[in-house]
Amino acid sequence: MTPPRRGTAAGGLSRRHFALTLPSALLASGCAAPHQGTGRPGDPVVLTLLSHYASGELKEALQGPVDEWNATHDRVKVRTKAVEFTDLLTTFMVRQAAGQGADIIHPYCLWNGQLVRAGVLRPAPAEHAEEIRRGYGKAAVGAASVGGNVYGYPTEVQTYALYYNRRLLRGAGIGSPPRTWRELEEAAHRTTRRDRYGNTLVQGFGLSTYDDSTTVGQTLALLNAAGGTFVSADGRSTAIDSPAGRAVFDLEHRLVTRGASAPGVNVYKAFPSGQVAMVISAGWWTGSLQPLMGKDYGDVGVAPVPVPEAGDRHATLSTGFMLGVNTASEHPREAWEFLHWLNTEKVSAKKGTTATRMSALQVSVGSLTGRADDMRTLLGKGGDPNLHPFLDALAYAVPEPNVPGAQRAKSLLRKNIEALWTGQQSVDEALRTTRRQVDQEVSRSW
Amino acid sequence: MIRRRFPWLSYLLVVTGAVLTVVPFLDMVMTSFKGPGESGTLPYRFLPKSFDLSNYRAAIDQLDLPVLFRNSVVATALITGSVLLTSSLAGYALAKLRFPGRDFVFRLVLSTMMFPPFLFFIPHFLILVHWPLAGGNDLLGRGGAGLTVSIAALAMPFLVNGFGIFLMRQFMVSIPDEVLEAARIDGAGEFTVWWRIVVPQTKPVLVTLGLLTFVDAWNEYIWALLVSTADPDVMTVPVGIQLLQDYVDPTRTMPIVMAGLVLSILPVLILFLLLQKYYIRGVMLSGLK
Amino acid sequence: MVNVLTPEATERAHGARSAAPALDSGGRARRRQAVVAYLFLAPTLLFFAVFLILPLGFALLLSMSRWAGFGLGDIEPVGLDNFTGLFADGSTFLTPILTNTLLFALGTVTLALAGSVLVATCIDKLRFQGLWRTLYFLPIVTTVVAVGNVWKYMYEPGGLVNGVLNALGLDSVAFLQDPDTALPSVVVVQAWASVGSAILILTAGLKSVPGSYYEAAALDGAGPVTVFWKITLPLLRPSLLFVCVTQFLAGLQSFALITVMTGGGPGDATDVAALEMYRQAFSYGEWGTASAAAFVLFVVVLVVTLAQLWIFRRKGEDA
Repeated sequence: MTPPRRGTAAGGLSRRHFALTLPSALLASGCAAPHQGTGRPGDPVVLTLLSHYASGELKEALQGPVDEWNATHDRVKVRTKAVEFTDLLTTFMVRQAAGQGADIIHPYCLWNGQLVRAGVLRPAPAEHAEEIRRGYGKAAVGAASVGGNVYGYPTEVQTYALYYNRRLLRGAGIGSPPRTWRELEEAAHRTTRRDRYGNTLVQGFGLSTYDDSTTVGQTLALLNAAGGTFVSADGRSTAIDSPAGRAVFDLEHRLVTRGASAPGVNVYKAFPSGQVAMVISAGWWTGSLQPLMGKDYGDVGVAPVPVPEAGDRHATLSTGFMLGVNTASEHPREAWEFLHWLNTEKVSAKKGTTATRMSALQVSVGSLTGRADDMRTLLGKGGDPNLHPFLDALAYAVPEPNVPGAQRAKSLLRKNIEALWTGQQSVDEALRTTRRQVDQEVSRSW
Repeated sequence: MIRRRFPWLSYLLVVTGAVLTVVPFLDMVMTSFKGPGESGTLPYRFLPKSFDLSNYRAAIDQLDLPVLFRNSVVATALITGSVLLTSSLAGYALAKLRFPGRDFVFRLVLSTMMFPPFLFFIPHFLILVHWPLAGGNDLLGRGGAGLTVSIAALAMPFLVNGFGIFLMRQFMVSIPDEVLEAARIDGAGEFTVWWRIVVPQTKPVLVTLGLLTFVDAWNEYIWALLVSTADPDVMTVPVGIQLLQDYVDPTRTMPIVMAGLVLSILPVLILFLLLQKYYIRGVMLSGLK
Repeated sequence: MVNVLTPEATERAHGARSAAPALDSGGRARRRQAVVAYLFLAPTLLFFAVFLILPLGFALLLSMSRWAGFGLGDIEPVGLDNFTGLFADGSTFLTPILTNTLLFALGTVTLALAGSVLVATCIDKLRFQGLWRTLYFLPIVTTVVAVGNVWKYMYEPGGLVNGVLNALGLDSVAFLQDPDTALPSVVVVQAWASVGSAILILTAGLKSVPGSYYEAAALDGAGPVTVFWKITLPLLRPSLLFVCVTQFLAGLQSFALITVMTGGGPGDATDVAALEMYRQAFSYGEWGTASAAAFVLFVVVLVVTLAQLWIFRRKGEDA
C-alpha cells in the first residue's frame, strides 16, 4: 500500500478533538459538524462528493452508482452534494476556506493548476495514477495532470464540434455543413434573417457572450482548428497573438460586423428554437437539446469544426472534468477506493458488453469519457449519431490548458473576445490587450 | 404666487416619475403569471394570457421555501433584536451617563459609519471561519468550519450598528434629566431607569430603527451569498431566488423567477406599507445627522 | 448628579461598612456610573473590537501577503507586491475596473440627485404628498435581487423597454449586451432604486425652509425658477451634501446590483472594484490581491468623500 494510511493514530486524535469541541459547537446555534461520520468505532466513514451534477438527469445519473455503492458497502458511504457549474469553483474555494471542503471533488480540469497550487488536490497514489495513464486517452490524462503528476480520474470529456440546423441550411440552399472557414462564412451570411426593427430572427453563426464556453470555447476550438494554442509551448506565456490567433479573431470580427452573428443572444435558448443556423459547442449539449427540441431534434446535425483551408488537419478543443481527492479529507484511502470502483471496474452494459460505471453514466446523459474503448462499445450500436463526431474528435482534440490562473486567463480572454465582438476593440487591440493582460495578471504564477 | 397657480407641470413630472417607479413592479407581477413561451418573445405583451398560479407553484417546488424563509426570518430577527438592544443601551450610556472616555467612544461610533463594508468582507469571513470553539474549531480557531455553518453567521457582522447608536443617542439627549433624576432618587438603578423610562419614551424611534434594520437585513444579498456558498443550509430568500436563474426549462425561467421575487418581497412590502410613517421618518432623520 | 445610589449600591455600601459621608459619595457615584456606562457599552465595544478593529488588522496583513485562504499558517508575506501588481502595465484594475467604478458612482449620483431635486421640489407643491413618497419609495424596500432581475428582464429584446421602443417605431437596443450601453443601463437602475430616499431627505430639507423666505420672494415678484435657484437650492445645501456623500459611498461600493444584472460583463464593461475584490478572493484564491484592492478602493472612497465636503464648504463660504 503506497497511499499514506491515516488510520488509527490520526483518526483517534481527530476523534478526541471533535468530542472536545462538540459542546461549543452545539452552543453556536445550529452549528453542523464539519465532517459527517462521527468517527465512533463501528460507524461507517461518510465521504462527501461535490460536483455540478445538480439537477435533472445528471443528478440522477450520478446518484445511480452512488446508491449502488452505498447498498453494497457497509464501511464507507458516499453522499453527493451539488451546485450549479457557474458556482462550482467559488464553492470549492469558499468551502475549503471554511473547512468544509468535500472529500471528493469534481473540478473542471481548467482549475487543476489553481487547486493544486492552493493545496486543495491530493496527487493520485501511484497505482491509481498508473491505472489512469493506462486507461484514458492522452487529452484526458493531460487535463487531469499538473506538472507531470496525475491528480484524478478523468470523467466527462468534452470535445467541440459544429452544430447545425439542417432545415435552416437547406432553406438557404445549402446541402452539407461547411468544412472550411470560407464555406462557414458563406453559409452564415446566407442563413441570417432579421425583422424590420433590426431584431435578429435567425443568426447564421451563433457567437454568444452568454458564458465561457460560448465565447472562449468556440474561439479556442477555432484556434486549435487553425493550428494555434492559447498557451505557448513552453507554458510561460500566451500564444494568442500568433497568426492562427489573428485569423480566428479576424473571422469572428467579420461575422459580427457583417451581421451574421448577434453576440447578445443566448444561443442555448436560440438554437433549440430555430433562431441559430450554426454554432460550435461541446458534446454534452446533444443530451439537453434532445428533450428540449423533441421532434425538431431531427433537424440538428453535427460536423467537425471547419478548418481554415480544405485539406488542413482536423483539430479542436477538448475540455473535461475529473474526480479528485481533497487534501483535507480524513479518509483519502477510502475515497480513492470508491473512485477506483466507479471509474475503472467494468460492469456489464447492454448486450453482453462491459464498460465502467462512469462511462455508462456519461453516455446515458449524452456525454463522453476519455475511455475510447468504452465509448466505442457503448456508442457502437444505435444511440445518437450526433455523438460520433465528438467521439472521433477525441483522437485529435487539444486539451484546454490548466496552468495555475487558467480560469483568470480564460476570463481575460473572454473579456477581450467580447470587446472584439461588440466593436470596442479592433482585432489588433484585442490580441495585444489579451497578451499584455494575461502576461501581467497570470503568467507571474506560471 | 407660486402656490396659487395649478402646478400642472409638477403634476406631470411627479406622475411620470411615479409611473416609471411602479411599472417595473407591475411588469414583475404580470410576468409571474405568464405561461411557457409567453415571456421574452417578440412582440412584447404586458398582460399575461391568463392569471394562473403554476409559476408560483414551480417556484415553491424548486426552492425549499420554508427553509429559506426560516433562515431569513431567524437572521433578520437576530439582527433587528440585537441592533435595537445594543443601540438603545449604548445610546443611553452616551446620552445620559457621565464617564471617562465618553467623547472617545462617541467618536468611535461615528467613525464606524465611515468604513465601507467591503473592507471587512474578507476579514469577517476569516474571523467567522476561525471562531474559537465553534463548528469543530479548537481554542485557537483551527480545525473546523467555525461559525460559517450556522445561521448566526448570517447575522454576526450586522449585530451592532453605528448609525443605530447615533440615532438613539440623539433622541435620548432630549429626554429631560429631571425625569431620570427623579427615578434615581426613588431608588431605581440605571438599568431600571433605562428599561422603565428611557425605552418607553423612545418607542417611536425604536420602531423606526427596527424597521430600517429589518428591511436592510431582509434584503441583504452579498454576505448571505458568501455564507450560503460555504453552507447551503443557511441560504436566505434572496440568494435562493437568484439560484432560480438556473431553472432547467428556459422558456419558463423568467416567469418563475418573477413569481419567486413576488413571494420574497411581499413580507417587507406589507410591513413597509403598514408602518411606513416610521420608516420614512427614519430616512429623514438619517439625513439630519 | 448627586446621591445616585441604587439599591444594590446601598447594599454594597453597607456591606463595606462605609458610613458614606456626603463628601465622597459624589465621587463614588461618578465611579459607579462609569462602571454602569461601560456595562451598557460592553456589547457594542466588544463587537467593534472583534468586527472592526481586528478585521482592519487582518485586512492590512492580508493586503501584504499572498494567501489562498486555507490554513492560517500558509500566509506568505510579500510586502507591497499586491499593490504594485494592481497598478502594473497590463493590469485591469486601473482601467477599466476603477474607471468603471467611478463612472458608475458619478452616473448614479448625477441621475439620482437631478431626479430627486426635481421630484422633491415638485411634490412639495402637490396634494397627496404621502402617496407620492410611498410610490417613489418602493424600490428602496425591495431586495437588490428583485430590482436587478426585473430590470434585467425589462432590458431584454423581448422585454418591456424594447417593447416600448418598438411600439414607438424605434429599433431594439441590446442594453446589457452592448458594452457601450451596459454601464449606463445599470447606472439608470441604481439611480432608479436610490431616488426614493434622496427625495425623502430633500423633502425634510425643504420643510425646514421657512415659508417667509418664499413670501418675501413672491413680494419681490420673483418667478419660480428664480426662487428655486436663489432660495431653495442654497438652503437645501446640507441635505444635498448628505445625499451626495451617501450616494457616492453607495455607488463606489455597489456590486450586488451588478452581480445580479451583468456579472461585470459584457467583457469588462461593468466590472467594478468591489466585484473584482470578491472574485479575486473567493474564486481565484488571491486573498492578498483582493485585500489590496479593497484598501485602494477605501482610499478612493475617502478621497471622494473628503473632496465633496471640501467643495460644499467652499461653496458655503462663497454664498
